Amino acid sequence: MILLWLLIVPLAASPLAFFLRRRPVMEVVNLAAFAVLLCLAAALGIQVLRSGPVSLWDGFFYADALSALVILLTAFVALVCSIYAVGYFRHEERNGVFQENEAVGGGNAVPKLREYYALTPLFVFSMILVALANNLGILWVAIEGTTLASVFLVMFYGRETSLEAAWKYAIIGGVGLSMALFGTILTYYSAHQVLATNTLAGLNWSVLVGNAAQFDKPTMRLAFILILLGYGTKAGIAPMHTWKPDAYSEAPIPGAAMLAAAVLNCALYGLVRFYILSAKCLGPEFASHLLILFGLLSMGVAVPFILVQKSFRRMLAYSSIDHSGIMVLGLGFGGPLGILGMLLHMTFHSITKPLLFFCAGNVQQHVKTDLFREAKGGLIHSMPLSGAAFLMVTLAVTGAPPFSLFLSEFTILRAGFRGGYLVLAILFIIFLVAIFSGFLIHIANLVLGPDPGLPPAEICRWKNSSVVGLALVIIVMGFWIPAPLFRLIQGAAGIVMNGR
Amino acid sequence: MTFLQDPEFGDRIITLMAALVLVLQIAAVGQRWLVSSIRIFAVQSFLLATIAGIIAYFNHAGHIYIVALLTLILKAGLLPWLLERLVNRIEIRREIEPLINAPLSILIAGCLTLVGYVVAESFYHPEETSVRAALGHNTLAVAIALFLIGFFTVLNRRKALSQVLGLLSLENGLFLAAISLTYGMPLIVELGIFFDVLVAVMVLGILVFRIREAFDSMDVSKLRKLRE
Repeated sequence: MILLWLLIVPLAASPLAFFLRRRPVMEVVNLAAFAVLLCLAAALGIQVLRSGPVSLWDGFFYADALSALVILLTAFVALVCSIYAVGYFRHEERNGVFQENEAVGGGNAVPKLREYYALTPLFVFSMILVALANNLGILWVAIEGTTLASVFLVMFYGRETSLEAAWKYAIIGGVGLSMALFGTILTYYSAHQVLATNTLAGLNWSVLVGNAAQFDKPTMRLAFILILLGYGTKAGIAPMHTWKPDAYSEAPIPGAAMLAAAVLNCALYGLVRFYILSAKCLGPEFASHLLILFGLLSMGVAVPFILVQKSFRRMLAYSSIDHSGIMVLGLGFGGPLGILGMLLHMTFHSITKPLLFFCAGNVQQHVKTDLFREAKGGLIHSMPLSGAAFLMVTLAVTGAPPFSLFLSEFTILRAGFRGGYLVLAILFIIFLVAIFSGFLIHIANLVLGPDPGLPPAEICRWKNSSVVGLALVIIVMGFWIPAPLFRLIQGAAGIVMNGR
Repeated sequence: MTFLQDPEFGDRIITLMAALVLVLQIAAVGQRWLVSSIRIFAVQSFLLATIAGIIAYFNHAGHIYIVALLTLILKAGLLPWLLERLVNRIEIRREIEPLINAPLSILIAGCLTLVGYVVAESFYHPEETSVRAALGHNTLAVAIALFLIGFFTVLNRRKALSQVLGLLSLENGLFLAAISLTYGMPLIVELGIFFDVLVAVMVLGILVFRIREAFDSMDVSKLRKLRE
């Protein structure tokens, strides 16, 4: 039953926000829905830990520790983004951003907000469906659903650049996901001869995983390559990452944060499900080599763009490309350590990344630009809270100790050494250090320095509470991971290793 | 009328139709009028619906009839109609010169067809000499070729609407692969995919319309503001 509620809550919140159309009501609907969703997700996690996988309707919906982890992270990101969104959009409205855009079809404030508050629950609904669907075809449908719901978030401001970003996102996403669909069809075909069934169960992951060893091997090989390219496009690993900087810098901050911290997990979740099948069918080496190649390539592509970056919004996107590369690399190094490292990284990344976006959003709303050159530095004088948080989260996101991302990156590094990938592991360290220094120099220049004489930023309770709250969570997570959460991550790692 | 019960006869028709679909696709590559491209897509979808119908008939697979009917209504009817209306509203009728000119594009499409056959070869196990395997082999090659040519069209075309058409023909290739390899995916998955395709075309249609308003052109190569 809990699986159904996880889907019903966001699905109901969307029309509710659409028809109630008054701003405070829409805000409350969103906040309440995502708060309930987080409680449900936590309850699901506990249930999975206690009594194993939960399924519903003959296994149509299926949740094991891996799905429960992704759902928990999605719900967490959705909630913090909805808290921040209240303050963010009120600020936009006060500053007449929506009126300015009326000339290019942006419309006035309430219909725009309605668009955001009605689409976000649909967006979250498809992400939850990604994790709950047992059928790999439905999984694909749900991932495509996240693209369709988020295209409107990318073109939210209706500027020419937003349209360009949305177009790129929709076309690259569409072509990429069609490759994933082809991969799904081929997986079905390679299993078809073994299972000899035309029913729905023939694509159910829980059924496939038991028989994966007998699948047709050449077909499965091609299928995995297509899936990697397809879901990799959605996760933004190089060289299919080109939509990311545009989409992340054009979407409103809460939407961009959800793209970076939640959709990324869903795309990787799809990839991991197929990785398990492919590892059972072909042995882990075949997938590993591909994953390591794409993972390191993504990190390598991110390095120069972070070093010479002019805009801090685009820099966040390259950071996201870097992190999806790290996760894919962790999966590629494999073994219990690599997989555990990847899932830890996914968890810590989802918790840390939204704060980076929120700080960037606060800065952008204050200085009205996203270029380093025009922002002039010294922001700590006019916005002490966001400035300090920005510095802290920069350290956290680049994996400096004592923050938790250091732990996961270190785990992945150990997996690399243990797997015998000596040169690649050293390359991994070089990329990490380069990104760390590039990021830190840019953000330190932005935040520190002499006072440029900007007026102090206005204090907004919603924005500040989301920044402070999230910063506290990040600091605490650096020293202490709640035991049930760690058990859930371990359970998920066990599933990736052994398929159950 | 005994040949109507003979599965081999059905397979021959399917192979013939798949070949026609491929010919249409190559014709679309050289096409510069948007309306003609849309109509080619409609005919192609109609042929695919017929293939699905034939497979359903000869294999007594009831649920593929539904898939065939949906293809007929959505892909051969509704989508082309929506796209033609869009063309009339934005008043752009011709594709400007694509990045690679028409003769060379057709040549590339021919090469991609060859690639399709080479890839499909790896699925062909001669020890299973059933007609079924041979059929899968041929139509799969066509499906992969459609997929690759659709991919090429998206890259090559500069008008937003032509890119959408490329994406749709790519999707048609996937559809052909799904029905010829495995008698279609389970019904609910097919329904989900149809729903997604429909929504995707609407989303892209809205985008095309907004791009047309904002840039006074549908030329995607003018979308060049976002640079590093």
